[in-house]
Order: sequence, then structure tokens, then C-alpha cells
Amino acid sequence: MSIMELKNIWYGYDSRKKVLKGINLMLEAGKMYAILGPSGCGKTTLLSLMGGLDSPSQGQVFYEGQDIEKEGLSNHRKKNVAFIFQSYNLIDYLTPKENVALTCKLPPGPVLEKVGLTEEESKRNVLKLSGGQQQRVAIARALAADARIILADEPTGNLDEETAEEITRILKECAHQMNKCVVVVTHSNELAKEADEVFRLKKGVLIHGK
Amino acid sequence: MSICVRALLHNKRKWKKTLIIFCLLFFVVTLVLSGISIANAEEKKSEELRGTTGSSFVVERNLSTGGWASGSSGSYSTQEFITEEMLQTISAVDGIAGYDVSIVSMPYYFNEAGEPLVNVNGNGVNNYYTYGSINTEYNQLFLSGRFELVEGSHITENIKNGLIISKENAEQNGIKIGDKITGINDPYNDDPEVDMEIVGFFEIVADKEDEATMYDASTLWDYTDYAFCSFNTMKEMAVKYDDGNKIQEAHFYVTDAAQLEDIIKEVQNISSINWDNFIIEANDEVYQNISSSLSDTSTLIITLITVIIIASMVLIILILSMSMRSRKREIGILLAVGITKPSILLQYVIETLMTAVVAFPLAYLFSRRIAGEFGGLFGKAAENIIVTSQYFALVIVAGTVLLIVAVLISCIPVMRYEPKEILAQIE
Repeated sequence: MSIMELKNIWYGYDSRKKVLKGINLMLEAGKMYAILGPSGCGKTTLLSLMGGLDSPSQGQVFYEGQDIEKEGLSNHRKKNVAFIFQSYNLIDYLTPKENVALTCKLPPGPVLEKVGLTEEESKRNVLKLSGGQQQRVAIARALAADARIILADEPTGNLDEETAEEITRILKECAHQMNKCVVVVTHSNELAKEADEVFRLKKGVLIHGK
Repeated sequence: MSICVRALLHNKRKWKKTLIIFCLLFFVVTLVLSGISIANAEEKKSEELRGTTGSSFVVERNLSTGGWASGSSGSYSTQEFITEEMLQTISAVDGIAGYDVSIVSMPYYFNEAGEPLVNVNGNGVNNYYTYGSINTEYNQLFLSGRFELVEGSHITENIKNGLIISKENAEQNGIKIGDKITGINDPYNDDPEVDMEIVGFFEIVADKEDEATMYDASTLWDYTDYAFCSFNTMKEMAVKYDDGNKIQEAHFYVTDAAQLEDIIKEVQNISSINWDNFIIEANDEVYQNISSSLSDTSTLIITLITVIIIASMVLIILILSMSMRSRKREIGILLAVGITKPSILLQYVIETLMTAVVAFPLAYLFSRRIAGEFGGLFGKAAENIIVTSQYFALVIVAGTVLLIVAVLISCIPVMRYEPKEILAQIE
């Protein structure tokens, strides 16, 4: 049973040049999806449309059969999806614990522990954490939102190989053990290999790759 | 996490930014509170002035509408004179504090022993430039402050035979309050002797080293040799002179100089007086001059307050706008986690108001201490400048509204973006 469905999605920054041309996609809970493609092909745009950060020029996005535009994009972002960004996007005047508490559906302590942050680290200034630790906080924030879909944009892009592997493992766990639908936009073939399904975005068209 | 907690954490952790806003608010509110209290002190002074400046109007015979006749002493106007009934009717109008009518003559005065009262500067001519007055308190020489009653009392309507002379002449002639005096308008013309009593002494408030301030340039009489007697007494002394004992003009003084025009209009509406035969002239030059100077100071203070408020609003908007631009990422993140734009705006408003909650009362306490010092810059006495809790309440209400507007304006450039645009710019 699909949790999210994209129907005939078109998107362009102007009326002539379309970056997404009639995308159709169905996503299921408990799976990790990877979307690969060259820079500027529209991967992040596609993720933004799924997350309700933007609206398609044409077509519809459904969450559990409901059009997200009708539900309200802000509401969709708050209830149904959680984002993980390449540059972590943590609020710098809040501690890791407080950043996680922003979404506040689950208590932040156990979630931070789950992604491997110690009690002491969770009280530090976020800017004093390493890149890997900051990305763990971002994942913890996504988990604490208790959303069924996690949308990750290049989550390992700024991390070393070892940390990237660790983050990939956590994302897989989110999908397989916590029954989340994890969609990862990436350049990394290593990360894509770990996904249950891989799509390639080429010239505005999504091609199933695995 | 609640909006208020987020706002509190921001203000605490970004304390340098908070301190800048705090200092700005503290500085502005201190200046505005001081400015308002100085302006209010100015207004109070203006109100006092309206009551004390002694603005008046003169009712006089209109010689241009009356006829003319010839007599032994030349031609004279046949225009009707001001009657005592007219004086009573006019003085009954609301806002008139009092009035005075004067007949001027130059009589001679004699003590109980029949010796003439010698005047100081008369060069052997011992008569006095005398106003026959109903109420000397309202005589222009006393009202203007040129003369000051230093002993005894003023001549009023109830004193029918009073005489006031200068302290200097009194000492010269050994005269005391209560002494009996005989006045004769012209002893060489067989004029009647009129009994009177010394009721007061005046002194000239002028620089005695400066001769120009000690005499009247129009009469060429030294002020020391001026005297004031009761109106009735003067009429009795001048009974032999037709025009000399009739009222040619009367001065009416108002309680509030600012109401002078309205009072004059009301007087002109008195139907029992034929206003073709009389002229009314306003005399509020002193008030106009002083109030114009006060008004200039008030305008300056109000302009300064306005400039301070506008400049500080611009400064606060600029600082907040810079702060908003630096918080673009935060706005994008908050939008991405589903926090709505109004909720983010509310957080920023609360952050600013939290700073104001501390800055405003401290500025109030501080302004109470230094408003007097500021007032000194505008020539105001410190004790007249009071920063009241009412001004503080006014500043709280107006300041809160302006701050909310400032926050909303500074947020516009960032808030008009969609979350994806903000995040794309950050990424």
C-alpha cells in the first residue's frame, strides 16, 4: 500500500524549460528510496514537492490518498514529512536537544541516544559538534517529528566515508525497523546501493534503476 | 517547544544582538520620556502665562463717529463718554478678571500741617503725575512689573479716597501709611481741596543707574513723581473741568490671555452699548511675544521627539532587517519543520517585546533622574520637569505598537519567500 503518490508532476522555473516532465511515483512505508542524477537535474526540486516546500506547475502529490495542497502544505510539512539536509540546517542558538524538541512529538533524549549522541553532546552548542554529529542531530530531529516520510537531501554529502556509512545505516534502520518511508536524493552510489529502490532522474524523467 | 521558550533562548544565547536592541530601546525611550515631560512643563508654563500675562482690551470713545464743538479751550469731541453702567456690564462678562479706568492729572498734595509734599525730581515744582484709578492693581504700570507695591495696599473700588506715592517721595516727606493728605488739582485756580489717605507705597522696578528706565519718555515725568489716587477723589479734584472727570477709556483684563479674542467678541455683542460710538482694541502684545517664544521652544521639542522617534524606528527596522537576513536559514528551517510564518513572526515580536519589557522600565527610572538635566538645555527648571507614570504608560502602548510594526516591516523581505526558495539559497 503506497504512502505517497506523485501523479503526472511537471515543474519548471519558466514556462519553456521544464525540469520535471510528468513524473509518476509511488512510495511505500518501510522502504528506503534513492534518487540519483547529475547536478541541476531536479532531484532536490522533486524532494521539495514531496515535502510540500513547493507546488508543482502541474500534477498532484497525494499523502495517504489526500492531495497535500488541499490539506495545506504547512500542515503537511508539520505532520507527514521530516527533512534531512546536506548542510544539516540546525538552529545555531539551540542545543541538539532543543533542536530536536522543535518538532516535539517524541521526547528528544531517547531519540538522540538512538542516533548515537551522548547526554553531554546533546547539551552542547550545535556549532561545536562535528559534521557527523550535526547530521545525527538532524536525523534525530526528523525522527522526533514522528513523520512517516523522511526526505533526505544529500545527507552524506559533507561527511567522510566512515561517518557517511554510519548515517546510511541509521537511515536504513529508520526505514526497515521503524517502518518509515525514507527518500534519499544523492550523488553517492554507495548510499544508493543500500537503498531498496533506486531511481535516476534524467532530462526531467524518472527511470527506475533497481 | 513553545514560541516563548524559543524567543527566550534566542535572546539569552544571542545576547550581543539582544544588548544592541536593548541599548537602542533604552536610549530612545529615555529621550522620548524626557522630551514629553519637557514639552509638558512647557505647556504648563504656557498655561500659567495665559493666566498671568495680563492681556487686556481697551474700550475707548470713537472720536471719528462723534461730532465736534468749540469751546474756550478749543474744539472738543461731543462723542459720548464711557459710563459706570457700561463698566459694570462689560466687567460682568465671563473671563474678565478686572478693569481699570484712569483720569490723569497733575495735582498738588499737602500734609496735615498744610505743607506741600515735595517731589524728588520736580526741580521745585511740587505736583505729581497722578492716575485717578478704580483699581491700581490693574494699572498697566503695576501689571507690566515696572512698579511694585512695597507697602500698604492697592486702591480698589472700595477705597474711595486712597493715595499711593513712591517710597522715595514718602521718605523724603516723612509720610507713613494712614497719613492724611489734602489734594488740590490747581491751588492757583481755586480748585477744591479733597481729603485723602495714604494707602500704599510703590517702588520702581528698574535700573536706578540707567536714567532711561526711570522716567516715561512720553510724559517726560520721572516715575518717582508718579502717584495714584482713587477715581472718585480725582473726579472731585477735577470737578471744575468738563472732560477731566469723565471716562475716556477703560482697560479690561482677562483671566486667560488665549481667550482674549472670544471675550472681545462677547463684549461686542452687548446690545445695551452703541458700539458705533466706541472702539475696542486688544492688547496682548506681551502674551503674544512670550507665547510665541514658548511656542517656538515647544515646536522645537516636539520636532526633536518626532525626529528621535522616526530616526530610531528607521534604525530599529534596519537593525532588525539585518538580523532577519542573518536569520534566513533559521526561518527556512522552521518553515521546513512545519512551523507557520505567523508563528515565526510572533516569535520575533515576542523576542523584541521581551527586550522592551526590561528596557522600558529601566528607561523610565533613568529618565526620571535625567529629564531635569535635559530640561536645562532648553532653559527649563529641573523641578518643573516630571516624568509621570501616565507618560510611561503612553510610551509603553505607543512603543509596543511601533515595535510590532518595526518587526513586521523588517520581516517582509524574508517572509515573502517560499520555504524552498530560502532553503535553496542557503544550500
